[in-house]
Amino acid sequence: MTDASRRPPDGPRTPHPSRGLWILVLLLLAPAIVVPLMVPIYDRTDPTLFGFPFFYWFQFALILVAALLTITALKVSWVADRRDREARRDRGADR
Amino acid sequence: MNGVAVSVFVFLFLLVTVLGFAAARWRRAESLESLDEWGLGGRGFGTFIAWFLIGGDIYTAYTFIAVPATLYAGSVVGFFAVPYTIVVYPLIFLFLPRLWSVSHRHGYVTPADFVQGRYDSRPLALAVAVTGILATMPYIALQLVGMQVVLDVMGIGTESTNWFVKDLPLFLAFAVLAAYTYSSGLRAPALIAFVKDTLIYVVILVAVLYLPSQLGGWSNIFASASESFDQFNTENADAIAAGETSARGMIPPAAAQWAYASLALGSALALFMYPHSVTGVLSTRNRGVIRRNAALLPAYSFLLGLLALLGFVAIAAGIQVENAQAAVPQLFENEFPAWFAGVGFAAIVIGALVPAAIMSIAAANLWTRNIYRAFINPSATHAEEARQSKIVSLFVKFGALAFVLFLPNKFAINLQLLGGVWILQTLPAILVGLYTRWFHRTALLVGWAVGMAYGTWLAYGVEVPGDPGSHFGGPLVFFPGTETKVYIAAVALLLNLLVTTVLTVVFRAMELDEGADQTRRDDYTADIGDAGVAEELDPHEPIHA
Repeated sequence: MTDASRRPPDGPRTPHPSRGLWILVLLLLAPAIVVPLMVPIYDRTDPTLFGFPFFYWFQFALILVAALLTITALKVSWVADRRDREARRDRGADR
Repeated sequence: MNGVAVSVFVFLFLLVTVLGFAAARWRRAESLESLDEWGLGGRGFGTFIAWFLIGGDIYTAYTFIAVPATLYAGSVVGFFAVPYTIVVYPLIFLFLPRLWSVSHRHGYVTPADFVQGRYDSRPLALAVAVTGILATMPYIALQLVGMQVVLDVMGIGTESTNWFVKDLPLFLAFAVLAAYTYSSGLRAPALIAFVKDTLIYVVILVAVLYLPSQLGGWSNIFASASESFDQFNTENADAIAAGETSARGMIPPAAAQWAYASLALGSALALFMYPHSVTGVLSTRNRGVIRRNAALLPAYSFLLGLLALLGFVAIAAGIQVENAQAAVPQLFENEFPAWFAGVGFAAIVIGALVPAAIMSIAAANLWTRNIYRAFINPSATHAEEARQSKIVSLFVKFGALAFVLFLPNKFAINLQLLGGVWILQTLPAILVGLYTRWFHRTALLVGWAVGMAYGTWLAYGVEVPGDPGSHFGGPLVFFPGTETKVYIAAVALLLNLLVTTVLTVVFRAMELDEGADQTRRDDYTADIGDAGVAEELDPHEPIHA
């Protein structure tokens, strides 16, 4: 419940201590967003797998891949969050 | 009508009805006469409950009835529901923690609150609130259509031609839903969601394991579906050439690839602008719960895909139904032993009740907070607010009923996609607003109005195939200037963004007042334990700086 008038205005952007990790999170998530939308790459019948046309089994496989990528991104985000938090605490202690 | 199936169904329906009313006592509250208890279940849901609740939002009658129906009817574009649910979780992972943080720092309970705080514009907040309520109604209507179909197949209901008598069982189920939502609030769907998910998992697993084994395996199912489509295309070659009906196929024709992708992306972006998803997300305990859920929820997507394929299973089982939406319930009726068919019917109907309840509550919260208290009665007491929400939750459900009765619901999925067209027009204010305040508030308002009007007009102009002069017949239009069909919502959103961008430049040049932003950059990354972050949101607290 902080009063905005009492809080300092936004200063210049401070470099993120874990910027690289957040970029890694984005890179991990990007295929899960982009590949399902690239319909021409999977809009075909062959090869079939267990009787499933390619169109179907590819998308089922995508679900699993996307889930694995999201779980990995989650773990990375935990590390990144912790580092950001520590950095913020350190900055707070400096003041 | 099968006595055993109906008895099992009625038993399970009564069970959740009792649960629904008993939910008022769950996680005991001192009084339900306030908005946070009634409308947000006292908040503080952890990963586990949130998983069920958000899953309940996403997997609805739409999943069980509408998606398999499109496959049964040979319109494979309906399978876009699968890429939609793949795309949606990474998007949730990226965007919603920002909304959680800024909401918990400033006491925002609805998307319209955020817009008010960010853009300092009452008209824009009102536009967002009204859109949320309006877009929710067809989504609830879709649930009712699902229930109606199941009741029909079960043979409960009468042959009467009087619309009221004919749909009496639907009204009855609907009245029960309305009654326990009214008395228990969000606790009712949260508690029933456990029963719903258990039933749905059991039914799906049995359906996707047992049915194919009875029908010669998946290869045979795909082969019979393919054969049936080829036969249809041969028999109706003339009608297809004349554009009176569409050709059927196992995979989308190349011309439909843009439609497939735009439906998937449009629906995914729309999902978390819906008030009910925001309610679910904001009622979680901390930022981490959202990300963790985004990683856990794909478990549902797999089932969704298998369920969609029940449309093909129905073809292989030789199901012949006039109305494609009856394909899955009819499949249960024909292929399952009677008692398990009853379980299946109950799973679908209960699966429709839960989201209908959550959606009507979210829409009611929006009304109470952003319209009633903002414009009508700013000094409302807690009890008055709770009463408003309860009454409006009834009103929203009746609005949904009107959609069912007055719009063509042959393909229920169109109803939900119409809601998507509307809700997506709030994306520039909400989603873009989470990252930048560059858009001018007045430009956003005009862009929204243009997008709403254009999208509705486009949808109105789509005829039901083979029925000239009809309206709201489908979600796709030719992208202006091309021969490629895309989702109407995407076209309307592009125009909306274009108008907003151009007007922003103009208004900035005119130095039109852009209002005060009460949020700061670090508000969007704040987590529980940081200064000023409320552990729980209180809907009575006005939004604050």
